Amino acid sequence: MGWNKVAIVGVGIIKFGELFDKDWEVMVEEAYLNTINNVDKGFDPKDIQAAWIADCRPGAHGTQTIAGVSLVGNIGLAGIPCTHIENGCPTGSDGFRNACLGVASGVYDVALVLGAEKMRDKSTAEMLSLAAQGHPVLQRGETAMTMFAPQAMRHMHEFGTTKEQMAMVAVKNHKNGVYDPYSHYRYEITIEDVFKSPMVCSPLNLLDCCPQTDGAAAAIICRADLAEKYTDKPVYVAGFGMGTDTFYVHEKEDFTEFVASVRAAKQAYSMAGIEPKDIDVAEVHDCFSITEIINYEDLGFCKKGEGGKFIEQGKSDLDGEVAVNPSGGLMSKGHPLGATGIAQIAELFWQLREDVRNSNGAGDPGVNEKRQVKIRKGYGLQHNVGGRGISNSVVTILTRNK
Amino acid sequence: MTTDNNALRVDTIGNLIDPKLKPFIKLPESPSEKPHLIGSKCSSCGEYFFPKRAICPNCLKDEKPEDILLDNKGKLYTYCIVKAAPLGFDAPYAIGYVDIPEGLRIFSPLTECDKGKIKIGMDLELIVDKIREDEAGQAVYGYKFKPVSL
Ligand SMILES: [Zn+2]
Repeated sequence: MGWNKVAIVGVGIIKFGELFDKDWEVMVEEAYLNTINNVDKGFDPKDIQAAWIADCRPGAHGTQTIAGVSLVGNIGLAGIPCTHIENGCPTGSDGFRNACLGVASGVYDVALVLGAEKMRDKSTAEMLSLAAQGHPVLQRGETAMTMFAPQAMRHMHEFGTTKEQMAMVAVKNHKNGVYDPYSHYRYEITIEDVFKSPMVCSPLNLLDCCPQTDGAAAAIICRADLAEKYTDKPVYVAGFGMGTDTFYVHEKEDFTEFVASVRAAKQAYSMAGIEPKDIDVAEVHDCFSITEIINYEDLGFCKKGEGGKFIEQGKSDLDGEVAVNPSGGLMSKGHPLGATGIAQIAELFWQLREDVRNSNGAGDPGVNEKRQVKIRKGYGLQHNVGGRGISNSVVTILTRNK
Repeated sequence: MTTDNNALRVDTIGNLIDPKLKPFIKLPESPSEKPHLIGSKCSSCGEYFFPKRAICPNCLKDEKPEDILLDNKGKLYTYCIVKAAPLGFDAPYAIGYVDIPEGLRIFSPLTECDKGKIKIGMDLELIVDKIREDEAGQAVYGYKFKPVSL
């Protein structure tokens, strides 16, 4: 029996992409409206007693500095408590975790968590340089890629993982993204396309990488015993975990795993009282193709070193052992840091209710339906890993089982 | 691009070193010397650190870890070759993680960026070389690791 003290009763996201026509406030308002307008039995915003806004690097990305009031002030809720969360790539999922803690504490009955990030307003070269901030010994060409590409190189060296296997992750996730109307990219690619795309940071080609994307997503959560006021099909929070690791990449002993993920997953599985084999569907952090392969191992979907074979044998396909990234993942949906984790949770909410067809009414239900995973045991897993030195991970386990 | 190591004397190159890196590099003072990275060692638990630290995170004692010259040879643990560079850097360049005998892993640019020539496990040595250009186009020097065999 899972933790199940908190239930999700509504989710909403906006179409991710290059949203030059929408400023931060508009993205936030749209994600909020999509959420409150799609609660099954209707929703009165006055029920929200506290809110969390997740946005990772607003200052650096050219948005004004974000504070709690940036959210509530823009959605007519000024007056209630609201906290800004910033925690690397798991910013959105950590915002969700903190909102869950707020509700589970008994202080708040109903809470809103909203994640948003503008990432396209600055040039890529400028953005890459932001990654090099920090200790002087690291300001010598360190980027997000120099954190993950060497992991790929080492995984290939130790386990014989291939470039083809990595490309298969991109092919799978782009294929799934075609059926997600919220996705930044909606086209299929081939292994050949990945190999022919420009080399960004060897061994990673451009199509091994997720894009930079603007986006926003939100969720309304409440005490589990109050959920039926809002819906007959709530999704419960069965467990969550957050793991940290050494601050710098060079301090890590083993570059073939992300210890922060292993720690977060262990906490989450234990809290949910389940094992990796109980997961039907997962939305995991595929910032790079190699990251998803390592995630399979860190999250216990396969043994260490076998992540390459796991994708190759189709075990993470929509109809595989565990469907991984049915939404298209970060790779085709995009990775607006603060919104990413909450968008993953939104996808799992629809998947576990077997309601992807009607996900917020976006797009053609017949198209949406093509990414619906068959739910057997009733559990979904959300995962992010990243932050400075890949040192921070959040895992959330959701269930439809009461 | 690689400058003759022997010419890299403290008097000639000192002014070109990235000022922020100066506390971490011991430049050669004579043609017979080689550059070294400056790390630190905790006198209580014996752990080495690079970059050096003011307090040992394991012991958290008042005693400051002492500065120590680190071995300038190492083996390549893993690497990547950057083709999309941040502002000020010329692509392609290679980044390596280099294991040195003190049990530390050093993040460092490599002098070589030809994929066929870089191999995991290869022997490397520390040199001082150009890293990037500043806003005025002036070369900024720092440390790199160079394959011993090349
Ligand atoms: Zn110590």
